[in-house]
This record gives sequence, structure tokens and C-alpha cells, in this order.
Amino acid sequence: MSEQPKTYNRFNIAQRFEHFVLILSFTTLALTGIPQKFAQAGVSEAIIALLGGITAVRIIHRVAATIFVLEAIYHAFLIGYKLIVMRIEPTMLPGIKDGKNVIDYFLHNIGVKKEAPKMPRYNFAEKMEYWFMLWGLIIMALTGFMLWNPIATTRILPGVFIPTAKVAHGWEAVLAVAAIILWHFYNVHLKHWNWSMIKGHLSREEMEEEHSEELEKIEKGDFRPLPPAQVMRKRSQIFVPIASVISLALVLLLFRFITFEQTAIETIPPVEENVEVFLPQTPTPLPPGAATPTPAPVSTAATTWDAGIGDLFISKCGSCHGSLGGLSLKTYADAIKGGKNGAVILPGNASGSPLISLQDSGNHPGLFSAAELEIITNWIIAGAPEK
Amino acid sequence: MGTFFRRRLPSLKPAVILLAFILIGAAALMISSGDAQAAPQAQQPDNSQCLTCHQQEGKTLELSDGESLSIVISPAMFGGSVHTKLACQTCHTNIAEFPHPENSATSISEYRQQYENTCANCHPNQVSETADSAHAKIRNDPNNPNAKNTPTCIDCHNPHTQSEIQKDKNGKLTGLEHAAATRTCAKCHNQIAEEYAQSVHGEGVLVDNNPDVPSCIDCHGVHTISGPTGSGNQFRLSSPQICAKCHTDESIMGKYGLSTQVLNTYIADFHGTTVTLFEKMDPDQQTNMPVCFDCHGVHNIKRVDDPSKGIQIKENLLVTCQKCHPGATPNFPDSWLSHYIPSQNRAPLVFYVEWFYKILIPLALGGMGLLVASDIFRKATRRKSKPKTAEVEEKSNQEGGSAK
Repeated sequence: MSEQPKTYNRFNIAQRFEHFVLILSFTTLALTGIPQKFAQAGVSEAIIALLGGITAVRIIHRVAATIFVLEAIYHAFLIGYKLIVMRIEPTMLPGIKDGKNVIDYFLHNIGVKKEAPKMPRYNFAEKMEYWFMLWGLIIMALTGFMLWNPIATTRILPGVFIPTAKVAHGWEAVLAVAAIILWHFYNVHLKHWNWSMIKGHLSREEMEEEHSEELEKIEKGDFRPLPPAQVMRKRSQIFVPIASVISLALVLLLFRFITFEQTAIETIPPVEENVEVFLPQTPTPLPPGAATPTPAPVSTAATTWDAGIGDLFISKCGSCHGSLGGLSLKTYADAIKGGKNGAVILPGNASGSPLISLQDSGNHPGLFSAAELEIITNWIIAGAPEK
Repeated sequence: MGTFFRRRLPSLKPAVILLAFILIGAAALMISSGDAQAAPQAQQPDNSQCLTCHQQEGKTLELSDGESLSIVISPAMFGGSVHTKLACQTCHTNIAEFPHPENSATSISEYRQQYENTCANCHPNQVSETADSAHAKIRNDPNNPNAKNTPTCIDCHNPHTQSEIQKDKNGKLTGLEHAAATRTCAKCHNQIAEEYAQSVHGEGVLVDNNPDVPSCIDCHGVHTISGPTGSGNQFRLSSPQICAKCHTDESIMGKYGLSTQVLNTYIADFHGTTVTLFEKMDPDQQTNMPVCFDCHGVHNIKRVDDPSKGIQIKENLLVTCQKCHPGATPNFPDSWLSHYIPSQNRAPLVFYVEWFYKILIPLALGGMGLLVASDIFRKATRRKSKPKTAEVEEKSNQEGGSAK
């Protein structure tokens, strides 16, 4: 290659599209996942509220996770094709040389080594990210499945795997997000803005700094040639059907995974025990009133104070009239004398006696029965005799 | 003017002192009779006059709906009550003589409501607290069949027998008051009260009279009683805080060897996280996430080691899980760490995975950080020591950029 192009192609449009899907799903997962891990933090609450509440956040997280895994399946298919059918160099495989590069890079940076390491198509920084991502994908998918389907998981595994999965899922996420911010953002955006995932190519200077080994190879024209078209066709006739079946199986498996259980995400009204809220105790029956005054000694024959009228007054009226001030009805003399407002019994004049008129009106705490009142009335008419 | 006053002052002194004495005396009188503001003491009939009739057993007021209201006051009980120094007419303002004026109430409930404002004369705060209570809401809802069954002040505090509420020096109700409160609620909520009596709290209150143990009012409130169903989902979502009030208090829990980690372990887990977020953001939305009482019971809370109900026993916990997760198998309950913080002895797998990340994360990030720092260092030092190179670099970068 004698002519030196100003730019060097690194990623074709399909690869760039993959990266774009990855950015979207990863960012969404991080935005909806990290606030779930640190749910008590104010920032998390703000994010969750912004996204429409925790239920919405969980649904978004699961959708993004599904897209992420779909992308992984697609990627696996593509890598399989490239490695098996096209037999391209497995440039992403890490080797001892990458370890050396790391050390040389560090030593060069701190000024111990003059020469910067010459790095291949994928330098150690990129390999680190790629394999960290793969490790993360496996951890996150496995633990994510456990958290998504705890009942199915505990049919096979001990229950403690669920909280373990939660711990691993959360901290792995923290590691991934922190690594992206620290490592990816620095190397690809801060150090200088790397356009290769957007425009697809790098400048010569960028290639020199980051992929000088590959640059040399390109300049030397040192490529592994593609296999003959015939061989490729033959291989792909075997690879494509097998890989398609596997991919399809993986997609179906994924679908099965994400629709396995519902209790984790569905919101159903809580089942609460039904208790009778108002169930009064059997009310204590009211005490059965004071024993009704025994009418026995009083008969129609009682026609004098001593023969029963006195007892009737004492039993019916004595608790007030005789124990309190005012009118006393305890003795014959007191009864005839009357209270502070004068006589209440006018012998011979029943209808004129205040006692009778008061009893007739009913406005008195204690009342004679009709029969008793008749006896009293007759007694007064008879002159209210003592004996 | 000043000299006039100064000169006149000595002769005024006795009058001022006298006036002061009168004022102090009047104030003292007002304070001592502060509760009896409804009617001047002098006009009130003596309580013994009322009691002569009202102490007689069996006296009732017949109401037009067929109910009979006992109007018997036991002098012994009234004498022991907190209101014993009040004249009957302080509350029964309309009754000064016999015959008593006609009462328009058609039912006991109506009769009692007539006295609601009476209580407010001396207890305005307590009465206003009840205004938003669940009981008041039901009473004011004409369509609620239980409207007439709702209690007014005097259903819970019989004014003729209510003794002074006993509190300890910290203002906490005594154990006996806890038990008394429970019996008061039981008058109408008997089924719940009987369930409660069988619970670990019920035993503590009713059998041991232990003031640390909650009675009805500790969870539901005293005068502000809010219903668990009347306030949307709010009660359910905020209920963990009710339990946490005592169960995160080391001074109470320490006595019984109970963990105070129950709230934070709950909130840290899936169920608690969700409930906490719902409470903050969607307090009205229904959620199936369990709160304390979904697993431990509502009124029938048992000890966790109770053989038949205690959820420390795995079989019992499985049954509890299956209420919401019908497909749960015997392994499933272990996915909940039972409020324990993972340790080498308890859920060691969780503990060690956590450790793994505690080592991996600083190691990985530290390594990356070191490389990033070294790169920044190189860029910075080169710019300083070899400004020329830096310029070249910058220039080439620009060229690279423009080439695209």
C-alpha cells in the first residue's frame, strides 16, 4: 500500500449500529438499575419519580435488559460467522503481549520508558472493556434471571441464591457503570474524542497512538486473506443453519425467561383477612331496677295510717321525704303537718290535697301506682284517720 | 405630675395591696373552679339532691326507638372519678330542677351526641382531634349503616366513672391504662379484640400489664384514630413506621432481646424498598408488596418462634410466602434473610459474594484509575517540559479532526 489514506476504517455501519444499541440499552439499564440499588438516596428518588415510579422503572429495566441480551445473541452469531466462516484473525483475544503493553504503557506514561508500546487492532484498553462487558453480561443475565424469576430459581437452587444474586447484580452494575465512566469515558471521550464508533474511522495520528502495530500491518499490507469464496459458501451453508437454530433457540429461551413468572412484577390488590370490624360485645343487661315495692301489706282494707297507709308512704316516699329536708312522710304527724309550703294532705278533701294533684300530674320522681293512689285518695276522703 | 404621684403613693399602698389580694383571690377561685364554667356554682343544685334519685338501681330513660338508657349513677364510682368535684349541672346544663325538661333524643346515640360540645368546654383539643377520626367520618356519613354505632367521647370515657389517666414520669401510659384502653375498644371491636388477646402483644398488655407493649391506641391513635381502609392505601404503606416506632427502639427491644434491625433490613430488601418508594411517590396506589403485618399478622401477631404461627419456623414462613407467591417451593422462604444482616454464619454465600465485590471493585477501578492517572500525568508533564511536542500533538489532532 503505497498511498497513505488519511483515515483508517475501523467499524462498519453494522458494528456501529450494534454499539448504538448497546449505548441505549446499557444507559437505560444503568439509569433504571442504579437508583434501584440505592433506592433511599434522594437522587435515586428523583430519577425514579421522573421515570414514572418504581413499577415503571422496573418495567423499563426489564425491557432494556431484553434488548441487551438480544444484542448479545446477535453479536454471538456475527462473531461466530466471522471466526468460523470468514476465519478472520481473533483480534479481540487477549494475550501475554497485552499484559506487556499495559506495563509498557504505564512505564512510558510515568517517563520510565521512552517508547510507547505498539498496540494491535484492539489494544489492551479495548480488550479490557470487551471482556469486562462479556463477564458482566453473563453475571447480570444469570443474576437478573434469578431476580426476575425467584420462584423458578428456588425450585432448583437454595433460597439464599436470590439475595446473593441481588448483591452480585447490584455490585456488578456499580462496577460496570464506574468502569464505563472512568475507563471508557476517559479513553474515548476525554483523552480525545474518538469518532470511530460514529464516523467509522480513525485518523492516522490516532492510529499511531493507539494501534501503531496494526497501522504498520496495514501499511505493510499484511492481512490474513479471506478464504476463497467457494470455501466460504460451503462453510456458511453449514454455519448459518446451525447458528440460526442456536440463535433462535436462545431467543425463544430469552422469551421464556422474561415471561416465566408474573408475581414479581404484577401489582395485585393485597389479600387481607376479613374481620368483622364492628362486633360489639353482648351489652351487659341493665340492672333489673329496684325490686318493685311489695304491695302485699297494702290492701283495700287499709283505711288508716297504722293499718298500712303509713307503710305505703314510707316505702314509696321515705327515701326522700323523711331523710332529706322539707316534707317528711315518715310519721302521721309529719305527714299531716306538711312541708315548708304547707299541708299536702287535707283530710276529707282529696281533690284539694296537693299530694293528690301532684301525683295526678305525674311531675314527681316517685309515683304511686293507680291502685295505690286510689287507696290514698279514699283514705283522705275518709278523713285521713291515723287509727 | 411625677411629684404628685410620688407624694400620693404611700397613702395608696394599703389600697393597692388590698386590691392585689382581692385579684389573687379571685384568680385562685377562677382557677379552682375553672372546669365549672357552664353555670355559676351557686345556682346549681347539690349533687346529693340529684343522686337521691339517680343512685336508685334500675332507673332508665326510655327513648322513642325502644332503647333504654340507664341513668343510674353510683355515688361510689362517681366519687372515684376524675369529675367528682364537678356539679352535675356543669355538664347537664339544662337540668336544674324537677321535673327535668323533655329530651328530644330518639336514640342513645343521639342522646350522647348532645354532650359532645359539653366535653369540648373543658377538653377542646381532644374533641377537635376526634373531628377527623374514622369514627367521626362514619358518623357523618348518612349512608353508613354503622353511623349510629359510632362512639362519642363518653362511650370511651364514661364521664361518671372515668378515673384520671395514669402515666409514668415520662408521660407514658401505665400498663394498666394500656389494658383499660384495649377493653374500651373491645366494647365495639370484639372480634378484633379477641384476636388481639391471643397475640404476643395482647398477652403482654392484658396479662402482664406491660407498658412497653402496644395496645390498640398505640398503633391506631387515640383521638385521631384513623381507619386502615378509610385513607386509601396510606395506612398500609406507612404502617411499617408504626411498628418501627418500638421495634427500632433499642431501649425497649433490648429488654426482650429483639433485633432493632428489622426496619432497615426490610427497607433494604425488595419488598420494603418498593413499599417505601410507593409511600413517597404513589401513596394512593395499591401494591401487593407486603408490609410488616402481612407476614407477622395484623391483630393476631405471634412470637416468631410460636410453633403454629411463628414465621421463624420455615413451614410457617412458606405458608406465609405462598399467600402472594402461590408457586413457592420449600427452598423459596430462604430467599428472604429474615431481617438478618448477612454474616459468615447467616447467609454466608451473600456475605462472601459481597466481599468478593468489595475487593474486586476497588481493585479493578484502582487499576484503571492508575492507568488513567499515568496518562494524564504524561500529557501534563509533556505539555510543561516539551511545549513544542504538545503543540505538534495538538496540531496533528486538529489535522486528524479536519481530515474527517
